[in-house]
Amino acid sequence: MMDVFYQYWKRCGTGVRFAPLFLWMVACLVFVHPLSGNAEEDYLRYLIEAARKAELHNDRYWWTLLHYRRGLIGVRSLVDDQDFFLSPRGKTDPQAELEAAIAALFRDSNSDTADAVCRFVARFAWLKERLLIDPARLPVSGCKAFDQVVASVRPKSATVIFPTYHMNSPASMFGHTLITIDTENRNKLLSHAINYAAVTDETNGLFFAVKGLFGMYKGYYSILPYYQKIQQYSDISQRDIWEYQLNLTESEVQRLMMHLWELRDIHSRYYFFDENCSYNLLFLLEAARPSLHLTDRFPLWALPVDTIKVMNEEGVIAHVEYRPSKATKIKQQLSLLTEQEQTLALSVADGKTNPEELLSLDDEQHKKTAIMDLAVNCLGYNLAKGNLSKESYQERFLEVLRVRSTLGKAADRSAMFEQPVQPDLIHGTNRASIGSGVNDGRYFIDFGYRPVFSDLLDTEVMSGQGTQIEFGNLRLRVYPEEDKVVVQELDVIDIVSISPRDTFFKPFSWKVRAGLSRRLRSDGDESTVFALNSGPGLAYYQDLLGLYYLFAEPELDLSGGLEQGYSLGMGMSAGILKQVTPRWKLHLAAKKTWFEYGEWQHPFEVSLTQHVTLSRNTAIGAHLGWTETSAESQGEVGLTWYVFF
Amino acid sequence: MKKTIVVALAIVLAVASLSYAVPKSNVGCGFGTLLFQGNDGLASQVCAATTNGSLGSQTFGISSGTLECSKPARFWAKQVDTFVAENMDNLATDIAAGTGETLDSLSDIMEVPSEKRASLYTSLQSQFDTIFPSAQVTHEHVSTQIMMIVEQI
Repeated sequence: MMDVFYQYWKRCGTGVRFAPLFLWMVACLVFVHPLSGNAEEDYLRYLIEAARKAELHNDRYWWTLLHYRRGLIGVRSLVDDQDFFLSPRGKTDPQAELEAAIAALFRDSNSDTADAVCRFVARFAWLKERLLIDPARLPVSGCKAFDQVVASVRPKSATVIFPTYHMNSPASMFGHTLITIDTENRNKLLSHAINYAAVTDETNGLFFAVKGLFGMYKGYYSILPYYQKIQQYSDISQRDIWEYQLNLTESEVQRLMMHLWELRDIHSRYYFFDENCSYNLLFLLEAARPSLHLTDRFPLWALPVDTIKVMNEEGVIAHVEYRPSKATKIKQQLSLLTEQEQTLALSVADGKTNPEELLSLDDEQHKKTAIMDLAVNCLGYNLAKGNLSKESYQERFLEVLRVRSTLGKAADRSAMFEQPVQPDLIHGTNRASIGSGVNDGRYFIDFGYRPVFSDLLDTEVMSGQGTQIEFGNLRLRVYPEEDKVVVQELDVIDIVSISPRDTFFKPFSWKVRAGLSRRLRSDGDESTVFALNSGPGLAYYQDLLGLYYLFAEPELDLSGGLEQGYSLGMGMSAGILKQVTPRWKLHLAAKKTWFEYGEWQHPFEVSLTQHVTLSRNTAIGAHLGWTETSAESQGEVGLTWYVFF
Repeated sequence: MKKTIVVALAIVLAVASLSYAVPKSNVGCGFGTLLFQGNDGLASQVCAATTNGSLGSQTFGISSGTLECSKPARFWAKQVDTFVAENMDNLATDIAAGTGETLDSLSDIMEVPSEKRASLYTSLQSQFDTIFPSAQVTHEHVSTQIMMIVEQI
């Protein structure tokens, strides 16, 4: 009764002036409504009125729960499933949806069934709170099914999971994020992993890619045990995982679950670039803690790592854990053994040495366990890579473990290994640059902008590897003395993956580039060409040299300025990529191309480029280059200043 | 810019994706099943794709088991079975090593008090051959053996 009193008081605003009216209304409520049979209807009308007055439909939290965005053509929800809305106009009309939701509160009479109250627990919890709704006046007070799930999951905290970059899968190149709901006193493996993904049975990679770019898949939220995701990322795809524990409170995690509950079996169109796996998880965090501003920070695209940076800026990350993949563990284990011991472990994994033989060696116990543990991981790796049949894997795996089980416990050595740089702590994704230098006696100034993401000389994205992922990299060159501006470089795409081979890992390196570049022609002139080049390579690592590589790269150049409009040929390139000190990296590269079709020429280029990192988001680069064609040669020297943001 | 990038990615995906057209199949049980079937499949790698795990109350499957006040004996038996089936390889590795996260998780499900875990892990390790008698061992056998050992400690 006091509630109603309070609400009517508020509604009347200036209570004193309308006191007689107010008293009359209270009288009506107390004496008339219970008898009239229209009490619910009146209460509903009153609540809708109150919501209008408070403009609840413009409340940010309402927009978060409904995924509303203001775009060029007005307000619309990013959710595309009509079942997500209670009003037929819900997708574009926050007010209609809000009023339909209030009305739905009175529609249900059974709290066990999946009708409106049960489907939209978060909306109703919020409405009840904001409109001070008296639960006693509603036909149902809550959703039992949801309460049961909460009781069985016992949500305690939440963690954002970031499986790192996966160069060999285009859609995972930028990593991925998911959220786990963690239970108190239960191992992380048993957490519930929330994943947003496009649902498809598509097996053709090309269709998958194209459809994903243009929103032709439906994205759904799903929940799996976290151990399944770990197996998928760590054991099968060999991706390290970073776990960002959030500082959400228990009640905030519960709100997250409420919103997630509303999204079950609800789809939105999936877009690789903006409305993707990482972006859609941000709604869950905003629903958990309304003060967070996350979803409005990504106007064009949302890289998984950038969503984590934004979370960090908003102060929602408590601490970070690193979970190395099986491949990383193998590398760590290899580093602890002598060459002879490594060979022994690999020969056990290959089935050439019977694991029993190890028992008779004079090696110390901890060496034997280290060899066995390495062999076990190698077996799993080889199976996942398809290098081993399931039958031989099963036999060898059990054989090795049987011997291993007789050797007792080994000391935990995971603390011995240095962690790679946290992915959110490397440089910013955008890069702007300004540079200047001399080319063939001509003074120039360069202006550059690269929206995404990193090149071989920027801070290392993946430790021990050369990784370059660039999109839309633009460099304009101004020759002040000639009043001339040219597009020196415009990469549509430029990806290089340099992975060293060693005794156990035998990966191929590869590169692909498409874009405009300036080319010195046989007649000594420069012209802008559209160049397409892609090819495989081999790379190795040596302590003194660093990474050294060799690529075969066929190239096609197209330009009106070329004879017959094109040049097609075969190229070879080789180089050394060396991290001299933690802040100083250099790249020495040479390339010879034999263009035999179209315009004939055999250009040779050699360059030495160095970057010195000044701070996380600034660097200086120095460049020395030499290009030679049959008729002409030119040298270039320049300095560049880079700022990341 | 957005368009440029979209077109750019379309090109690279077109080039790179051709080698990743491998169908994903259901995960079964036994040693190596998951790793074997998951190898380099498109669906297992991409950020974007999933074919299972829709969202409903049944998918909060690994519940903490404290719903009922009066628990039947070994109320967690079914959870143990599921967990063993889905973690066979890592569990065998942990039992052979006498330590590990998978083993810790299993103990959490069985609600083994922390002071008893060291001795449990030692006896599991010493009875490795009984738990995993052959390469074709089924997860039912493994979970039955483990639960028997748990009752003895």
